[in-house]
Amino acid sequence: MILAQESGLVDFGEKHWRLIRFLREFYGYNGRAPLNKQIKEGTGMSILESGDLFPGGLKNGARRLAGLPNPKTCS
Amino acid sequence: MIYLDNAATSFPKPAAPLRRALETYLRVGASPGRGGYDLAVEAEQMVDGVRRKLCRFFGGNESYRVCFAYNATDALNTLIQGLIEPGCHVVSTRLEHNSVLRPLHHLKQAGLIELDLISINAQGFVEPEALAEALRPDTKFVLVNHASNVLGTVQPVELLAEVCRNKGIPLLLDASQSAGLVPIRLQEWGVAGLAFTGHKSLLAPTGIGGLVISPKIDPKPTRFGGTGVDSQNLSHSLEYPHRLEAGTINLFGILALGECLAYLESPGHQAALDREKYLFVRLREGLSVIKGITIYAAETLDNRLPLLTCNLRDMPARDVADILDGDFGIAVRSGLHCAPLVHQELGTGKNGALRFSLGPFNSGEDIEAALRAMSLIAQK
Repeated sequence: MILAQESGLVDFGEKHWRLIRFLREFYGYNGRAPLNKQIKEGTGMSILESGDLFPGGLKNGARRLAGLPNPKTCS
Repeated sequence: MIYLDNAATSFPKPAAPLRRALETYLRVGASPGRGGYDLAVEAEQMVDGVRRKLCRFFGGNESYRVCFAYNATDALNTLIQGLIEPGCHVVSTRLEHNSVLRPLHHLKQAGLIELDLISINAQGFVEPEALAEALRPDTKFVLVNHASNVLGTVQPVELLAEVCRNKGIPLLLDASQSAGLVPIRLQEWGVAGLAFTGHKSLLAPTGIGGLVISPKIDPKPTRFGGTGVDSQNLSHSLEYPHRLEAGTINLFGILALGECLAYLESPGHQAALDREKYLFVRLREGLSVIKGITIYAAETLDNRLPLLTCNLRDMPARDVADILDGDFGIAVRSGLHCAPLVHQELGTGKNGALRFSLGPFNSGEDIEAALRAMSLIAQK
């Protein structure tokens, strides 16, 4: 929660926890970040909505707070 | 799924040519040129047939100077490392893909070459005057990206070749993005050599590419091994095409490439390319009226491939690409597109940008769906 506040998140609600838990659980089972479609299926939220929940979006916000690496893609 | 990442690789592939290639491969899949029995000879003849097709396609000189590689990166490494001499000077551009930048950077770091990279103008083109200024008496060659994988700009090769010709310096082309979209006349333009890949706009599978080498240059072999000829000699053959091909070549890839070259000349494909240009114009128009979108270096539509790079406000391009993929089923490429210096020129060197690249199988509905999606994301 301290990390969340430091990143600018004031209200940390059920949807935030739903996404964080899903990301952690998926990583625990699979050893990798979920695909976009798996995030949608697993959380019941769109990618746009998921990204909007966290300052920094999915990549620099949610995954960072979940303590997980980003998927390896070519930059 | 709507696929708008054809600059990375064309998808889907045309099924009929690939099926024909597979049927041939299953029938004549012996090692080409590695035996005297009919099947191996027939396989070699088929490979030579594709060399001839490629030579014609690129306006080359002699088909035996078409050498196969795994892809453009492989071909470019063969070309670059085969031409440099310790202490020589090389000129390239800031428009290049890492397939050129990295081999040159490593050679520079190793103290083997001196390197100058020319900047591009605001429209994404290399100015012939800038090239002329960069040339030196000891410049070994100039290597230019024919068409940018970030901006889609097609360089004025004939003008650049004239600058090089006046100084007696070979001009080499990276035709990874242009081959199959822009007619290439190697001999007519006075270009000394080009590298191509099969899996982009030539529509072939991944794993096949090559070089077309004019008699103006003779790259040294930098990889050595079996060639099927002159086997008693422990030195690698200096005869083309074996000179730049070590080991068994990718027969299926070559056959597929040959079939795809024939497909590219079909009236149906030519019509698809015309449609692609029209769709590109529609995409550009549609994106340009969405508030918050910045399109890079696309003021003019002349000498451009059907690809477009942009950003939406300060949203990381990666996030926009994830939304397009996850929420709208649209595949685009975000980031630096393996061409970091172009992004430095654009001011997008940190987060990169979003690239839409069209292909012959895209439809008007695809483009309208992409525009609707971008419009919705922009409203958030």
